[in-house]
Amino acid sequence: MTGDSNREGIRGMANPRRYGIERFAYILMRITGLGLLAYFVAHIYETSAILRGRAGWDEVLAMTQTVEGHIVLTLVIGMCVFHTVNGIRLMIVQGGIMTGKPGRADYPYTPRSQNARNKIAIYSAIVLAAVAMMYGLTVMFGEL
Amino acid sequence: MRESTIIRIHYATALASVAFVALHVMIRVTQGFADSLEFENVVANYQFLPYAGILEVILVLLSIHGFNGLRVVLLEIRQGRMYERGVTVACIVMMVAVIAYGSRTIFAMNMGAF
Repeated sequence: MTGDSNREGIRGMANPRRYGIERFAYILMRITGLGLLAYFVAHIYETSAILRGRAGWDEVLAMTQTVEGHIVLTLVIGMCVFHTVNGIRLMIVQGGIMTGKPGRADYPYTPRSQNARNKIAIYSAIVLAAVAMMYGLTVMFGEL
Repeated sequence: MRESTIIRIHYATALASVAFVALHVMIRVTQGFADSLEFENVVANYQFLPYAGILEVILVLLSIHGFNGLRVVLLEIRQGRMYERGVTVACIVMMVAVIAYGSRTIFAMNMGAF
């Protein structure tokens, strides 16, 4: 068996059970960021339809006010909330808050910065995103 | 520009975006989500100067934050002098293009396209 056969590639890198919730948050931060950028550009294009008058606007609106459109918007809400809450956590951590006191590097070399407070903040971001998505679903599907 | 300055701009645009986008979403929800998207309401929103100003600010803030974020993600994947310069230039060009395209809608509607 060669060393390469053990390589799992991106799947191995993204495995949250191997590197913990911090790695999962790192990957999710990038995925949500790229997703939100894609939505932002699409939203700019979508809203420009108003320059084509009522017909153009109603055409685009009809496209977004479908079950699929609402599901996409729900995902955008979830991505937005996670990206915001986790982003604020990262700013706080980079400011030196929530990182814990420096200590001697003893086996098993658990970084002090990857502490319970950070884990709770990451899980909170995920829970808040789920709650916001449920609220979004209620608002949008309540008006279908 | 130094990366330390860029990351400060990245964080500043993030925090400002959160405030302005929250305002934008609140305006939509308080008007009633479906009603706020009616043609007349959207035209009226664009013609109300303070709201048009908020939209323009959001457009600029999110474009800077979003395309710098894309640049950071792309630079994490691969490094190299030419690659890094190419990614930076491409992101700046895309950012300017999105701001110009979005501003065209806001300005045209605010100045009475309808």
